[in-house]
Amino acid sequence: MTARAPSLQRRLLVGVIGLVVAVWLAMAAFTWFDVRHELDELLDSHLAQAAALLVAQQIDDLGDDHGIDAPSLHRYAPKVAFQVWHEGRLVLRSANAPSAWLAGEGSGFTSGFRTLQIDGTSWRVFATRGAERDVQVFVGEQIGSRADILLAVLRSMLMPMLLGLPLLAGVAAWGVRRGLKPLREMSDALAARDPRALQPVQLAGTPAEMMPMVDGLNALFGRIAALMDSERRFTADAAHELRTPIAAIRTQAQVALGEADGQRRRHALEATLAGCDRATRLVEQLLTLSRVEAGAPPAATDIDLAALARRTVAAIAPHALERRQQLEFEADVAVPLRADETLLGVLVRNLVDNATRYSPDGARVRVRVDQEQGRARLVVEDSGPGLDDADRARLGERFFRVLGTERAGSGLGWSIVQRIARTQGATVTTGRSAALGGLCVSVTWPPTR
Amino acid sequence: MRILLAEDDPLLGDGLQAGLRQLGFQVDWVRDGDAAAREMRAQPYAAAVLDLGLPRRDGMDVLADARRDGLKTPVLVLTARDAVPDRIRGLDVGADDYVVKPVDLHELAARLRALVRRAHGQPQDKLRCGTIVLDPAARGVECGGEPVTLSTREFDLLHALMLNAGRVLSREQLEQHLYSWGREVESNAIEVHIHHLRRKLGAEVIQTVRGVGYLLARDMPAA
Repeated sequence: MTARAPSLQRRLLVGVIGLVVAVWLAMAAFTWFDVRHELDELLDSHLAQAAALLVAQQIDDLGDDHGIDAPSLHRYAPKVAFQVWHEGRLVLRSANAPSAWLAGEGSGFTSGFRTLQIDGTSWRVFATRGAERDVQVFVGEQIGSRADILLAVLRSMLMPMLLGLPLLAGVAAWGVRRGLKPLREMSDALAARDPRALQPVQLAGTPAEMMPMVDGLNALFGRIAALMDSERRFTADAAHELRTPIAAIRTQAQVALGEADGQRRRHALEATLAGCDRATRLVEQLLTLSRVEAGAPPAATDIDLAALARRTVAAIAPHALERRQQLEFEADVAVPLRADETLLGVLVRNLVDNATRYSPDGARVRVRVDQEQGRARLVVEDSGPGLDDADRARLGERFFRVLGTERAGSGLGWSIVQRIARTQGATVTTGRSAALGGLCVSVTWPPTR
Repeated sequence: MRILLAEDDPLLGDGLQAGLRQLGFQVDWVRDGDAAAREMRAQPYAAAVLDLGLPRRDGMDVLADARRDGLKTPVLVLTARDAVPDRIRGLDVGADDYVVKPVDLHELAARLRALVRRAHGQPQDKLRCGTIVLDPAARGVECGGEPVTLSTREFDLLHALMLNAGRVLSREQLEQHLYSWGREVESNAIEVHIHHLRRKLGAEVIQTVRGVGYLLARDMPAA
């Protein structure tokens, strides 16, 4: 077996939970950027407003010789700082502001926003100058406080998510399990089946998504059942049909054992041998039929039907001559045909063999191959007794043999001929031979393209 | 014992006919259902061996018809149909025995003897009449404890008379019991065999009913 793919249940679970987490993270990132932007705008405007106030205030208070340190009014005050410079001199600062130029000496930073590093801390600094007098104001705020606000916002958003995740995973797992229940039920039903049980799978409440699978499975079961049925019938038929030849062999052998008279003993022994020949032929025919019925894909090649039929007739001719039968073959031209050569050979041999076998000694058998409107045709005629309509209708039934035929036959030759013809799309018709008076069988193949 | 064999297979029919003849049966062989039905009615066969898969008319059909017509000839069905439902149907329709091919000739003969015995209400394998004991299987006869040597015809004649002990059998009936088709029967053959039997077994054993036939008295079975 190949490496097994992860279970459907796990894949669904991982997918659902992964997607939820990804959406949450995206939401968090969006919130982060959005809030930070808004926060920056708000706080920057506060810095600018504070600086403007300081500038306005300095215009009135300049020159007063009071301390430059402004009182701290709130416990958050250390996070904000300011400096007011007048004509190069620090005139006012918050308690936590350095006494040095906040923006750093000679940096040239005198107005606008800038992020600075002061004593290892990040500050957001707004600088502005008085419009009329030499007043330079710096208002700074620790960046860290902004991050704190952002984190607080995100925390309140992420915490419920984090806590909800296991709950979500649990609910999703339950949902997936529940959703996959029909699948599990079906696999249980399949596992509990008797291997020989081939009736269709029927489950109550099969979801629409599973119907194609169930239908496909049932169709497969149907085909297997039909195949097994045909096998079973074949085995039963074979066993049944072999009983009579075997009974004959056994009986004749026993007669020979118990016979004192030399001639009668010889007769019984010859009959035993004939029985063996017949059983052999029956077994061969059964195997051929089984192979044709097994439906192995025919290996089609380009064949000359005339040449193949000629070879077959040549092979059977000695047996026909033994019985003083006249076996003729007629074919004017090569008749190309695309078919499985082995099967085609079996078909031709069975037809010619039937004609000679069931015709009396001294009979005439004529085999003709021709082509009519692009259709290859094989005609086998004989001068034998022919068949009446009732018997003709039953030809091809397994093991059907025409009454009064003394010749040993299996009754399978016709089944074989018809099966092979079917696999090749050929049609078999029977009738009375106009020329010879006996049976006339013709096989017509579809036109070759 | 004359029996009818209905079997369409030439090799098997030929073998059964020859084999059963070896074992002392007179065998008439027919090859299809119509002939079987006809011959069963035409002759008083001791038993019939019937194949089921017969041409023209199925053996089962032949058997059912014969029973419907009140024909009592014991019938042994010899067939390739071995399924239990087939066996049940065969026996129900009126077969006295059902044997699946292939069968041992000796077993077939023994079954036929058993059928004939039962048909004559004879529970034992040996027939007894006074001091005469006839063993159909061994084809042996004892008279007063002493074995008696009989020819085939003499044995068959005695067998027929013993099976029908207490009933008068005409010469024609005896001939039908003794000879299968195609055997030329001389007009006084039965008289000659009766004469020989009387000489070997005692004159009083077989009684002549003048103008009717012969009779073996059914006395008390000797112990």
